[in-house]
Amino acid sequence: MSALRPLDKLPGLNTATILLVGTEDALLQQLADSMLKADCTSELKVHLARSLPLPCSVNRPRIDLIVFVVNLHSKLSLQSVEESLCHLDAAFFLGKVAFLATGAGRDSHCSIHRNTVVKLAHTYRSPLLFCDLEIEDFRAAMAQRLVRLLQICAGHVPGVSALNLLSLMRGSENPSLEDL
Amino acid sequence: METQSEEQAVTKPADSGGEGGPSQVAGAQAARPEDRMTLLLRLRAQTKQQLLEYKSMVDANEEKTPEQIMQEKQIEAKIEELENEVEEAKTAFEMKKLALDRMQLSTALKKHLEKVDIKTSVLMDNMKQILNLNKLIMKSQQETWDLEEKLLDVRKKRLQLKQASERKLLEIQTEKNKQKDDLDSMENSDKIKAIQQNLETEIQITTVIQHVFQNLILGSKVNWAEDPALKETVLQLEKNLTMI
Repeated sequence: MSALRPLDKLPGLNTATILLVGTEDALLQQLADSMLKADCTSELKVHLARSLPLPCSVNRPRIDLIVFVVNLHSKLSLQSVEESLCHLDAAFFLGKVAFLATGAGRDSHCSIHRNTVVKLAHTYRSPLLFCDLEIEDFRAAMAQRLVRLLQICAGHVPGVSALNLLSLMRGSENPSLEDL
Repeated sequence: METQSEEQAVTKPADSGGEGGPSQVAGAQAARPEDRMTLLLRLRAQTKQQLLEYKSMVDANEEKTPEQIMQEKQIEAKIEELENEVEEAKTAFEMKKLALDRMQLSTALKKHLEKVDIKTSVLMDNMKQILNLNKLIMKSQQETWDLEEKLLDVRKKRLQLKQASERKLLEIQTEKNKQKDDLDSMENSDKIKAIQQNLETEIQITTVIQHVFQNLILGSKVNWAEDPALKETVLQLEKNLTMI
């Protein structure tokens, strides 16, 4: 059980790998399918996991982007994500980690407050995305967005690096952080 | 303690129109040369970017990070400092790129102008149009400025008039108050009291005279109801003088 490190393996040619971590298997599977259907010039590999650490026995390619999916309806998903975060190498948080919060649409079912996730993303200095993964269109749009994010993190877009993107995305988030 | 997490992997080959995956290009004879070139250029750009990333990581790792244990607030402050440095580096870079682009543009423009006949060039037409528009803009701005000045003058005058009317109203008010005070003081003055006293005395005397006349006529046992003039006199005597 070793901590995941970015850049410890060489990248595959024209290949980008994303790791989706979350407790809701069905949602992750659906998101993975949407991502694979999305238009992309590079080869995409999507790995799904319930939690970190990942078993070392599997031979896997270099992971370019990790997305932690938190379901606002269940406290368990938040807990499992928080536990998994400890097994990640610090270098990952330079733009290769993103948080995705789903289920914000049905406010009555939400047991986790929106601010909790916002604070979590702020502590780890990573971008936070909101999406209702159960709705087809939103899922497709979010999949498209994640594909673009992944391409940049894998280094397929010349001139933009993951860190660059991180500071670009931070600009639009700042107004909401003042509420905290 | 730590649960072995399950992992699934899903893959998908690239699906852009004429381009195939790298393994397919090698074998496919049908792939057109342009597409192969595009693919190769794209892969080159990719590899360059990835190389840049690895290089920067190597450079970053050479820098020693302080290992001391800091308070969370200090860490936050440090992180913000570093983020600001990143932002500043980015802005500086963007500025330099902008300056460089401008210089390149101006040299290209210069070379273009040297080559081209000045009278007929589209560029000249554009420049003339730009100059005309600038003149119009300046004229409109001047007009706007003049109108604003006029507006300001009118407003000033209005304010002055308002202040003048305020003063006048204040004067009227003070005058009225003075009059009221005078009236009040007059009422309490001694002259009025004396006059009032005289008036009262006269009224009393007249009332007594009235009563005397009444009693005289009644005492004389004359039938005053028959004579209209006498009747009028008697009734008039009945008038209470204090009510006048």
